[in-house]
Amino acid sequence: MSYGLSIFKSNGSVGFSTADVTWQTLDQFTVSANATVSNTYSEASGMTIIAQRQLVNVPPNSQEDYVPNVTISGTTVTVSPQSGLSSSQCIVHVLAQDT
Amino acid sequence: MSYGFEAINNNGKVIINDKIENLHFVGKATRGSNNSDYGNFPTYTGAFDTLDGRVIHYYSITCTGTPIVFIKPTDYSRWHGLIKQSVSGTTWSFDVIISGTSTSNPPDLYCFVNADDAPVGSENYGMQVFKSNGTTKTFDSRSQPLAITGGGNIIPPSDPTNSTGLPQSTSGHPWNTATNDHDFRSSNRYNEYNNTNINTTNTMFSCPSIAQAVYKRRMDGFKQSQDYGQPTQNHYSTAQWFVMYRSAFRLRNNYIDAGWTGYAAGYSFSSSFEDGGWFGGGGGSYSTGTMPYDPKTINLQTNAYIIADSSRYN
Repeated sequence: MSYGLSIFKSNGSVGFSTADVTWQTLDQFTVSANATVSNTYSEASGMTIIAQRQLVNVPPNSQEDYVPNVTISGTTVTVSPQSGLSSSQCIVHVLAQDT
Repeated sequence: MSYGFEAINNNGKVIINDKIENLHFVGKATRGSNNSDYGNFPTYTGAFDTLDGRVIHYYSITCTGTPIVFIKPTDYSRWHGLIKQSVSGTTWSFDVIISGTSTSNPPDLYCFVNADDAPVGSENYGMQVFKSNGTTKTFDSRSQPLAITGGGNIIPPSDPTNSTGLPQSTSGHPWNTATNDHDFRSSNRYNEYNNTNINTTNTMFSCPSIAQAVYKRRMDGFKQSQDYGQPTQNHYSTAQWFVMYRSAFRLRNNYIDAGWTGYAAGYSFSSSFEDGGWFGGGGGSYSTGTMPYDPKTINLQTNAYIIADSSRYN
């Protein structure tokens, strides 16, 4: 590689290389049930942002568990309950790609 | 940035700086027990009895911070999904569903947390990057930082069943009809997404299962006895099959598939005939499983997936 950083493990193999990286973590946070949270990531200006959701502390069966919606507008990520539905507690993992 | 550190790759993309937090390897989750079931409809024998089957493997890890979990399949032909994540104190538990009923070849779970929460070990050399507040660490070369090698948004199809169209409730069947005509398997129902960084040797993925679905096939039967000068007698029957699904994912060379696998299933049958007529009333019924909610697909939304090379963290 011409630019960047590589980190090698003690056995000499590559453990990390900026040449491999495509997406990066901007943030991760937990949203309480039925809550609305909005975060702005100015450092990601010009980047593509996506978000991953994982319900937490809810049973997987015998219950309708609704994830909150995620809307992304520019560098602002908003998490809110689906219309007319109660949302469950949710981990949100925000990622960015410098396109 | 006016000061600090920034690393870019060949394409000029910013990879490390004082603002973007990188995840770091905290360890593999420990696998505990498992539960295997639903290779077919319980107590039912007949057409379309076969289901995909599923195994749920249970894992746990103790760590500070909130772990992001990657599934590294051992058998890449099977569908995988992280269907539950919970925490008690600093111990995190994970339920992972896999299609099929074989309990062999369970996947590995690789867990990553923020730099501040990642173990450092005894290494004295390396590089750390902090935010401008001087205390929040964004990168630590000693803690096996995560290199995300691909990602995007994916979503399974709304219909999880192999048969064309969703199963329905119909009446007018002969009394005691109990022959299923809908293929509730999901093996052919998926959306594929191209990613040239995916292989079936080392690739692991993170994409929680958020979509759920429940669908049933119901057949109502009826017969009216001949009267032969006596009052007629009505006979009723109901046969019902249901499956609850969770979204699941499969890795192929250059592709990730977003689909489904069955989580639970049940079958019920009831038969009755009214009082009167020559033989009086009566009937019987039996059922297995409880349908968790009315038929529908919920949480059918795109969710971000990310992939990485698991061999970097072994």
